[in-house]
This record gives sequence, structure tokens and C-alpha cells, in this order.
Amino acid sequence: MDPLEAIKATFFQECDELLADLESGLLELEGGGGDIETVNAVFRAVHSVKGGAGAFGLEPLVRFAHVFETTLDEMRSGRLATEPAAVKVMLRAADVLADHVSAARGQGVVDEAGSVRLVGELKALCGGGAAEGGADDEVVMVDTEVEDDGFGDFDFTPVIVEIDAPAEAAALDPAALPTWRIGFKPSRAMYAKANETALLLRELDRIGACQVALNADSLPDFDALDPEESYFSWTIDIETDQGEGAIREVFEFVEDDCEIVVEATGAGAEAPLDAPLSFDTPSEPLDAPALAAAPEVEVVAEPATPDGDVMALLERAKLAAAEIQATAPASAPADAPRAAAPPPPAAAAATHPADGGDAKTGAGTTIRVDLERVDRLIDLVGELVINQAMLTQRVGESGLARSSTVSVGLEDLEHLTREIQDSVMAIRAQPVKSVFQRMPRLVREVAAMTNKQVRLTTEGENTEVDKTVIERLSDPLIHMIRNAIDHGLEKPEVRVAAGKPAEGVVKLCALHRSGRIVIEVSDDGAGINRERVKQIALDKGLIAPDATLTDEETDNLIFLPGFSTAATVSDISGRGVGMDVVRRQVQALGGRISITSIPGKGSTFSLSLPLTLAVLDGMVVGVSGHTLVTPLTAIIETLQPKANDVRLLGPNGAVLAVRDAYVPLVDVGAVLGYRKGETDWTTGVVLLVESEVGGRAALLVDAIQGQRQVVIKSLEANYQRVEGIAAATILGDGRVALILDVDALIDVRRKDARRSAAPPAARLPLAS
Amino acid sequence: MSKTVLTVDDSRTMRDMLMLTLKNAGYRVVQAVDGAHGLEVLAGENADIIITDINMPRLDGFGFIEGVRQDPRHRATPILVLTTESDGEKKTRARNAGATGWIVKPFNPDKLVDAVRRVAA
Repeated sequence: MDPLEAIKATFFQECDELLADLESGLLELEGGGGDIETVNAVFRAVHSVKGGAGAFGLEPLVRFAHVFETTLDEMRSGRLATEPAAVKVMLRAADVLADHVSAARGQGVVDEAGSVRLVGELKALCGGGAAEGGADDEVVMVDTEVEDDGFGDFDFTPVIVEIDAPAEAAALDPAALPTWRIGFKPSRAMYAKANETALLLRELDRIGACQVALNADSLPDFDALDPEESYFSWTIDIETDQGEGAIREVFEFVEDDCEIVVEATGAGAEAPLDAPLSFDTPSEPLDAPALAAAPEVEVVAEPATPDGDVMALLERAKLAAAEIQATAPASAPADAPRAAAPPPPAAAAATHPADGGDAKTGAGTTIRVDLERVDRLIDLVGELVINQAMLTQRVGESGLARSSTVSVGLEDLEHLTREIQDSVMAIRAQPVKSVFQRMPRLVREVAAMTNKQVRLTTEGENTEVDKTVIERLSDPLIHMIRNAIDHGLEKPEVRVAAGKPAEGVVKLCALHRSGRIVIEVSDDGAGINRERVKQIALDKGLIAPDATLTDEETDNLIFLPGFSTAATVSDISGRGVGMDVVRRQVQALGGRISITSIPGKGSTFSLSLPLTLAVLDGMVVGVSGHTLVTPLTAIIETLQPKANDVRLLGPNGAVLAVRDAYVPLVDVGAVLGYRKGETDWTTGVVLLVESEVGGRAALLVDAIQGQRQVVIKSLEANYQRVEGIAAATILGDGRVALILDVDALIDVRRKDARRSAAPPAARLPLAS
Repeated sequence: MSKTVLTVDDSRTMRDMLMLTLKNAGYRVVQAVDGAHGLEVLAGENADIIITDINMPRLDGFGFIEGVRQDPRHRATPILVLTTESDGEKKTRARNAGATGWIVKPFNPDKLVDAVRRVAA
């Protein structure tokens, strides 16, 4: 990748972090917490976004960030109070800033009108005056194409120079360059800032041929010499066509710490070198007498090696300094004319370790690694697990005793492999914080759209889960939170009438539970209106009129495809997707979703997800001579079907009576095309699985071989998508086993059933 | 031997930009994430040139420069201040703390390298 592109990618990555910091800082301020350091951190976040954006020429982003930064600066300096009203504006500004970042990244567009409105609000916060000019000044974009004058950024005052004479001279002799005379007298302070006359002369030499004359008259007698004082001044004659600007640019860093005069002297070598320098240049306060003397003391008769003279003098000074140091070791640095305000060495020694000590915290405990490398490692560990399983199996087959050293060694290997696997998985694990952080903004927006007052509280945001899971967690969570605010929470007036605070609470909470991560979204709203849910389900033909449903079953109706409780399709939750989509997304992650609701008190949606998508606990089963793996999470129980529990339905269908309810019976072998013809429903084993799309189902297989953890290999990546199959794995004997996609299997079977007969599943009471 | 530049900036983007630009120009680069870290790095690394941001957590650029100048080894090490604030106040404060020069952000690579060359012996 182009290194600059890579840095740009880093920039956007950093923006995400900065925006998150910004938001959490502002939220802290909103809650009345936080101190000046919080305000500083918030300021820095916006400042850094602006800085980086400037480097990449992302103009709209820079402009908005600049106004934002200006307002935050007011807050930082205490001119603007951190009161809730102001912080609320900032929170919205943070949202718009995030939009600008996304737009700069090529994702989405910025609501221009909203952005302009906020710029207005931000400026209003600054009391108008302060920020009025703020938006436009100081926003300097890097533009490498445009040839600027090379010193546009520098803030010296341009000096008007009389160039008549040189112009004339130049006209006479086209080859001759304009010449300038520079008088330069550095102060002690210049050296203290580590500026160096020799370097300045070197720079001058780069823009034109120089003749340098040193005035060492002020150099006192040796015993009166202060090695850090500045005693010398210089007069430089330079031939250059680059103009006074280029000359002054050389002295840019030192102009406050020296006396300097620049004057045009002519265009040719014959220009009058003895013309006195005039010191009435408008912009430069000058100690005229000090420099007026300079031309007269021009002692260098042979200007052949001007730099050499300077160097020689420097060398002499250096030697002198070394001598001084030899006699007074405590006093100064070795390279002499450089001077610095000398702190007593004892003091320096005392303060320095303290600085170093403070700095010990917080740096360098993490490294950034390319995700591809981690994934490669995970792949390899997967291979290792498979290989180890193979080895175990081979050794088992070879008939070695369990107590043999080989077997014992193999067991150790197995432990190690498991540990490596866990450790590698831990590398990919990330806190759910990154997803949770996006939610406050969502809550603000949805609350504004629905005119509800909502407070979001989060818990357990440091709970870790695999990166892939995190990436795919965002959509379902967004939908659930929208749903909680839109459908769960009541309007403020309704809440007040019901004796609740006007502000509703949505709680987002993550925790680890028995090897899975559980994420709960709860609200303190009205709870699910079961009568209405039932009525809608009836109207839409999702349940039979005479169905008797428990409260839990009624609540779960909202997950059925085609169910939507919103009386009017709002533009928040009713975007054509219902909770069934959420359920499907969660299932695609190998998770489950459930709901509990208490009328008047609120509802809780609970997601349970595997910690990783790379391995899976599966039940290994045999079907028609093939080995298949069923995800353990889907299996509720296994049983042996009895002949009188099986009821045939239509030509190919059957249902199984399980504790007074009927569940559709699926012959896995037939659905996957392993065998044809009549199914004998009473041989083999039934896996009772929970498929959230259609309640429960019973899968008929030949035999159960055992449970084991398998490494998931994508079928799509290695072959192609196969209906009814989720993925594949490699077993210990080296054979490929397919992992069943339980939901898809039931879907396939249901479609067959619909084709051949009236849909039996829908007419039956739902199994529970 | 190539010269070593210490860059001190809390923004990763900026650090990367500086690293890329300076490396291409043939410098060796060491990095620090804020002023306090910068002093810590200096304790173990000898830098020929220092480039520092102003606005940083823990220890800002002014404090960092003062800290550097208090170290006898670095009294004469050139320090360039990297800042978006082109207002004179910040620049003056940085200079009073002992900064050698400054680079206005956003910088273009040529200008950065030019400034480094100008102060590097």
C-alpha cells in the first residue's frame, strides 16, 4: 500500500478512537462530572482530528473541526461554562464531526444544513464575537500542487525594498544577480534556544554566494569572557535572485533573538561594498550604532573563503571554551559559542530523574498487529488442533496402551494445543466497548425523533468477545435499541401519568456466562402489550385462533417473520425489518435471542452469543454413512423415537409428539439427498433442536458418535454454498465433516412440505 | 551515520507522518507519545533533533521543552515545535521555553525536512 494511504487509514482509525474519547468526555461533562483535564482531553481530541485532517487536505472536516475547536477552547479557558445546555450542543457537534469523518472516509454524506446550523450554534456559544472570524482564519491547507511563495505560513512583515538601482544594474548586465547586505548580531538568547550562527550562514550559502565578515571587536579579554555570552556580529554580502523574502526566511526562527538588517546593495560585483548599511528598515527595531559599525570593521581582506573564516573563528572559540571547561568543569557545554541559560548542574541533576520517574506510566504496553497475521495464526492453530486430533486417533488405532509414554505425551500435547487455541482466540477478543460506544448517539437521535426523554446506561463494556462477533453485533443492537425506545418507552406525559420519571432508561449490559457472552437491552417502559401482540399474530395468520399461549410464547411472537407491532410505520423501527431480522442476524452468529417482559415495568431482550466464530462445540452424528456435526447450542435434547409418537403427515412429512406437543420431524439424510425413498422414522436417534425461525424441530439421524470441539472451515471459501450446511470441519481421522445449518434444514423441509401438502406446521400449536 | 530525530506527538497519524517523511529524508526516528514519555525516551536515546507537539496529555510541549533544556546533555539540542496554532502567543511561549524553531501544521514534507535541516548541525 502507498505509505501515505496507510497513514490515512491510521488517521481514520485514530479518528474513531478520538471521536469515542470526545463523546465519553462530553458525556462525563454532561453528567456534571469531569474537570479541567476532561475539557482538555475533549479539546485535544477535536484538535487532533483537525490536525490530521489538515495534513490530508480534508477541507470540510477541517473547517467544521476548527469551529468546534474554537468553541472548546473557550470552554477550556473558562470563558464558557460547562453547563448542560452548552455540552448538549457539543454532543451534537460531536455527532456531526463523526459524520464529517465518515464522509471524508467516503462513507455516507454530511447533512450540510445540519452542519451549518451547528456551526451557527457553536459560534453562538462563543458569544459571536470571539468565534466570528474563527472559521476562516488559520485554516491553512497543505497544497503541494500550488506553487506558493514558499513562506506563506511565516508571519514576518514584508519589507518594501527599493530595487531601482539593482534593476537598472541588472538591465545593464543580465548575468549579474542582485546583491544584498545583511547585518546580523545574535543575542545570547538565540544560542540558548540552540540556534547556531554557523547553520544560518550555511543556509544563506544555499540561496546564493556569500561573503561573510566577522566583527569580533566586542570579544573581551579572556579572563572577562563569559563562554555563553554572544560577542560576535556578522556582515554578509550575498548574491541571490531569490529576493529578500528568502533571506529573511533563513532568519525566521531567530528574528526575535537577534538584530538583523537586510538591504539591497546592487546587481553586480562592482556594487559599492563600502556603502554603509542603513538601519531604517521599517519592520526591524534595530540597535543602529551597534551595526553601523559593522562595515567599517570589515577586516577580511581576502574574501576567498568566507565560511572558512567563520569556521576558523568558531574553531578558535571552541578551543577557548574547551580550555574554560578544563579549568571550570562545572560550567558549560563543550561547543562554545552556543550558549544556553545555564542551570546549575546540581539543580538539573535533581530535577531530571524526577521527570523521568513521572514518565514511567502507560507507555508501550500494547502493540498493533495486522489482523491478517492474527488470522493466519488462528488458521494455523486450527490446523494444529486437527493434526493433534488425527495423531490421537492414529495412536488409538495402533493399539498402544493408554499408559504408554506416547499416549501420555499426546495427552500433554492435547492440553497444550487447547491452551494455545484459547490464547490465540484471546488475541482476537476485544471489549464490546467499541460497539457500545456508538449507541449513545443513536439514543440521542432516536429520542429526538420520537420526542422521548431517554437516558442510556451501559454496563460491562469491557467484556471481551471475538472481533468478528463484535463487527456483526452492531446491527442487531442498533435495531434492538431503536425498538426499545420507539416501542418500549412511553411518551414523557404517559410516563408521568403512570407515576414514572419522565425520562426513560435504556440499559445496555454485557457479561460472560458459561462460555458465552450475554448482552441485554432493557427498558423501563410499558412492557409488551400481549393482547395486541396476540391480536396482530391472529390477524396475520401467524397463530391459530384457538391457540393457547403462555405469556412467554406470546412475547416471542414478535420474532416471527412478518410481525410488526407498530401501528404506524415509523421511520425509526419500521424500516421494513422486524425483530425476525434481528433474530436471524443473531442466529447467523450462532447466538440466541430471548425476551422477558413485565407489563408496566419494561422489557429485556437478551442475546447470547458464542465467544468466537472459529471453533464450535458440536455433536458428531452419523447419517447414511456420512459424518455430520450439529452445533451443540442448537440441541435441546436427544431421544429415541417410539413408533406411536410419530404421526405421518402427507406423503413425506411426519411430526413427533414430544411431551404433548408436536414438532416437525426432519429426516436429515433425505433432506441432504443421502438417501431416497421411504423413511423409517423409528430407527435412529432424534435430536430435538431449537430453531428460532419455526420453534422446535426434531432431526432424525442414524447414530450419535460423540461431542467434540471442531474448527470451523468455511465451505463457501473452499467450495461453494450448500443449502442446509453451515460450514465444514476436519475430523481426527482426516475426513471432512459437514456442519449442519439447523435453521436452513428446517426451512428446506418446510418448503417441501408446503409443496406437497397444506402446511402442517402453521396449523399446529407451537411446540414449547 | 544518520541523525536521530525524536518526535513527540500524541496523535498516531502525526507520528506516522513524521516518521514517513523523516525516514524518506534519511533520518533515524524515535517516537514518544507525550511530553512525559518524550523525556523518558530521551533518558535512553540520544536525539540530534527534537520535534514536539504542543497540545499533549500528561506533559505538554512547553513543559517538555523546559524539561529537555534542563538536561545538560540537551541544552543545545535543536527543538522544533509542531503546532497548528499559528498565533504568536503559543509560538512565543514555546520560544521562551527554549524552542529553536517551529513548523506550522499541516506541514508538507519538503517544508518539514527543510526546517529540520536548517537547525541540524
